[in-house]
Amino acid sequence: MIDAIQANLLSPAVLFFVLGVIAAVVRSDLRFPEPLYIGLTIYLLVSIGFKGGVAIAEAGLSDVWLPSLAAIGLGAAIPLWTYPILRRGGGLSAVDSAAIAAHYGSVSAVTFIAATNYLNAIGEPFENYASAFLAIMESPAILIGVVLGRLGSGQLSPSGAATASLRSLVHEALCGRSVLLLTGALVVGAISGPAGMAKVEPFFVAPFQGVLALFLLEMGTVAGRRLGDLRKVGPFLLAFGILIPLVNGVLGVLLGHATGLSLGGATLLGVLSASASYIAAPAAIRVSLPEANPTLSLTASLGITFPFNLTLGIPFFLAFARWLYP
Amino acid sequence: MPTHPMTLLTIVCEAHARGRVLDLLRTTGAQGWTLFPVEGTGAQGGRPADIPEYTNLQIEVIVKPAVATQILEQLGRDFFPRYAMVAFTSEIQVLRAEKF
Repeated sequence: MIDAIQANLLSPAVLFFVLGVIAAVVRSDLRFPEPLYIGLTIYLLVSIGFKGGVAIAEAGLSDVWLPSLAAIGLGAAIPLWTYPILRRGGGLSAVDSAAIAAHYGSVSAVTFIAATNYLNAIGEPFENYASAFLAIMESPAILIGVVLGRLGSGQLSPSGAATASLRSLVHEALCGRSVLLLTGALVVGAISGPAGMAKVEPFFVAPFQGVLALFLLEMGTVAGRRLGDLRKVGPFLLAFGILIPLVNGVLGVLLGHATGLSLGGATLLGVLSASASYIAAPAAIRVSLPEANPTLSLTASLGITFPFNLTLGIPFFLAFARWLYP
Repeated sequence: MPTHPMTLLTIVCEAHARGRVLDLLRTTGAQGWTLFPVEGTGAQGGRPADIPEYTNLQIEVIVKPAVATQILEQLGRDFFPRYAMVAFTSEIQVLRAEKF
């Protein structure tokens, strides 16, 4: 366990993340230009999606469908128990609880990518088609969360405005940049298969670790700039942001084990279940539950859960999977 | 050269409001707009504007005074309670009235 954590904390990706946090805390003028940030996200999503698509072509859909179904079911179900915890335990309003529940049911692509990088580094094999879980777990929880928020605040009316807002939500959840890129790259990878992989490998595989390290440097500054907001959210959300990912992650590993994934694959499903969205969910929630306070959900997912998973969560879920698998 | 009075409406809002604001401009009859990412602080706190999803936008649109009033009313009713946003107008002169 200690070895697993050490291997993660001393990896270039995590060390660069820490450097980014330090840069933000000391108010350095380090700042990535927007086009570079967008370029790095496109590269990471396309690369991970393409590798996943090639893996689906190699494994065949018969291996993929059961764990995929488990992933989508878990993603959709997470808001169902996080919502009452936030509502009753935290005493938060219905819309705030629903917004945070949606963030935690949805997933963080960067956390997942960092986990694949970690497994590669320590030589733990995993199913590359796990990228498909990333693609399909992003949206269901957001839709469930919005329905919970509307129900909880008594806004679920079949009026024209509600229908229009629902349509924009579905559009936001399914056609957002990350889902579109990831799903598109999965399809391209599945069609072009291993022969296609041979053609793009020098670009999409070899530089991957370096690009991830650079991207995490930027994400460190983004997370670090929000550390000040921790004071605003209170001790309940602080505890929630660490304990709920642990519970969800353990459930994910168990579900991966039950549906026949390898040790590495179950670890990745655990990491996905533990992770919280801070890009797709905030955008969709601002559109559909605009009354929710974005500081609460964003601080919890980006300021607490993301750094926790990146540093301690990922090796913890691997250690739990190692304990579970004989 | 004769000039015509028009209203320059400036909206500064969080990036998440982008789609809805542009829809509003279109449906109220604005003929065009200019949009750029900005950063700053306001009543709802500072916006680091570090990544595109969290940035602030400034939207500028030139419209007839009556249209500006209509847009402001709708912004005040439907947008201000939900989004981090300010909007203000200034009276300006343009050369080609038919463009707006």
